Amino acid sequence: MTFLKILWDNLRKGPSTEAFPFGEATTPAGYRGKVTFDAATCVGCNMCEHVCAAGAIRFAEADDGLHFVIWHNTCVSCGLCAYYCPTKAIKLSNDWHLSHLQQDKYTQLDHGVVAYKRCTSCGDKLLPTGSVLTQLAYKGPNPRAERLMDLCPECRRKASTRGEAI
Amino acid sequence: MKSFNMPVGPLHVSLEEPMYFRIDVEGEKVAGLEITAGHVHRGIEYLTAKRNIYQNLALIERVCSLCSNSHPEAYCMALETIAGIEVPERAQYLRVFADEIKRVASHMFNVAILAHVVGFESLFMHVMEAREIMQDTKETVFGNRMDLAANIIGGVKYDIDAAQSAYIISQLDRLEPLLLNEIIPVYETNATIQSRTRGIGRITREHCIEYGLMGPVARGAGHGYDVRTAAPYAVYDRMDVEVITYPDGDVWSRAMVRLKEVAASIRLLRQCLRDLPDGATDAGPLPFIPAGEAVTKVEAPRGELVYYVNTDGTDIPARVKWRVPSYMNWDVLHLMMVGEGISDIPLIVNSIDPCISCTER
Repeated sequence: MTFLKILWDNLRKGPSTEAFPFGEATTPAGYRGKVTFDAATCVGCNMCEHVCAAGAIRFAEADDGLHFVIWHNTCVSCGLCAYYCPTKAIKLSNDWHLSHLQQDKYTQLDHGVVAYKRCTSCGDKLLPTGSVLTQLAYKGPNPRAERLMDLCPECRRKASTRGEAI
Repeated sequence: MKSFNMPVGPLHVSLEEPMYFRIDVEGEKVAGLEITAGHVHRGIEYLTAKRNIYQNLALIERVCSLCSNSHPEAYCMALETIAGIEVPERAQYLRVFADEIKRVASHMFNVAILAHVVGFESLFMHVMEAREIMQDTKETVFGNRMDLAANIIGGVKYDIDAAQSAYIISQLDRLEPLLLNEIIPVYETNATIQSRTRGIGRITREHCIEYGLMGPVARGAGHGYDVRTAAPYAVYDRMDVEVITYPDGDVWSRAMVRLKEVAASIRLLRQCLRDLPDGATDAGPLPFIPAGEAVTKVEAPRGELVYYVNTDGTDIPARVKWRVPSYMNWDVLHLMMVGEGISDIPLIVNSIDPCISCTER
C-alpha cells in the first residue's frame, strides 16, 4: 500500500527527466567542462603540463613563442591544471558540448601562443611577465620592477647592479 | 538429485561488473562455487609508480566510481603523513563532507539495484530518482556527478560558500523526507522485498571476524566495525558518527544498514555545514615529499580502505599499494551462497556490494 501512494504521487508529478536535446539541460556554473586557455596571463611555468594525468597538455618552444596545446579528447576534466596554475591562465568552463565524430578526435585541440618579447636592451627574446604574476609577486604595482620587466634576465641583472632600477 | 555445473558471469551478474562464478548446483540449490577474478585488472598500482604525485590524484580517483573520493583521500593522507603536512581544519571538514556525500550516493545505488534484481523496477526507479538529488548536488558543488576531484595533497581544492551551503541544505531537505517517509518504510514492510531478501545469504558475527569482513556486510551481521569510530581520521572524532548494526546477517539486514547509513550520513552532512570553521582550504605552497612510508585507512562506502605509500624523495612514488574491503567480502560468498536457490545468486552478490574495479585495479 505504501508504494501505491508513491506511484500515484510520481504519476501526478510527471516525467522527471530533462528535455535535452529538445530543450536546454541545466548546467551548474561550477561544472568542470572544456578547458580554456588565456595566452595573455600564461607565464610558461609548465605546472599544468606537469600535473596533467591524462597528458592532454603540451608545451613546445618555437621561434615566435611558447606554444600551448590542449587535446580535449584525452582531457579528463580533473581540474588539477586550473588549481595549480599560479596566474589562473588555464580554467575549466562549464561547456560540456564535446561530443564529436571518431574521425575528428585528433583535431579536438585548442592552441595558444605566449609570444616572446624582445629585450629592450640587447634584443634577446624573453617570455613576457604578465600583470597577474607581478601582482602575485609584489602584491601591487611596483615601479622598480616595472622598469626591469622589458629586460632579459641577463640585462636585468646588469641593470640592477648598476643601480638603474632603484 | 541431478547435479551440474553452471557458469554465472562474467558480465551482468547483478551489478554491471565482471565477476565470474562456476557454480555447482544440486537441483535448485547451490552446492559450491569457484570465483575467478582478474577480468578488469588494469595495472593501476604499477601506473602510480610511473606518474608524479599530482597526476596520481586524478589516476587514483578513477580506480572506482562509487568510492572515488575515498581513494585519493587515503592517498593524500599517506603523503601528508610522510611529509608532516598539517591539513587546515576547514579542509578536514570539507573532506568529511565529500566522503559522506559519496556514501549517500553509493549506498542508495546499491539498495536501488537490490530492487532491480528482485524485479521491483518501479522501486528501483524511485530510489534512483531520489539519489539524483544527491547527484545534482555533487555536480553543482564539485563540478562532476561522480569524480569529485575534491582532494589535493595538503587539503581540498573546492570550497563551500554561504549560497552553496543554503543550496545543499535545501537539497538535503528534499532527500531526507523521501528517504525516511517513503524509501525506508518500503524496504522495511513491502512483502515482495521481505520475501526475497529476509533469511537469504546468512552469515554470523563470528564469520565477520574469521573472514575479516568490512563495511555494511560486517555491520549487517552485528559486527560494528567502522574506521570512522575505530580509528577516526580527518575530523570524525568531532562528528556524531552512528555505527548502525543489524543482527541477522542476511541480504535484507545489509540493505537496511545501508539505508540507515544514508540517513546518518545526511545528518553528518548537515553537521559539517553547521560546524564548518573559517580558514584556509589547503596547506599552502607545493609540498616537498621526503623519502618515507606511511599507512592510512579510511571508511569507504564498502568498508575499510587501507593505503600504503612509499616515497623516495622524488615526486614519483616508489610504491603505492591499497587493500579494498571487497577483497575480503567476496570470499564470504562461498559461505553465503551454499544452500541458497539459483535465483538468489544475483541478490547475494549485490548484497556484498562488490567493487570489482577497486579489487582488481
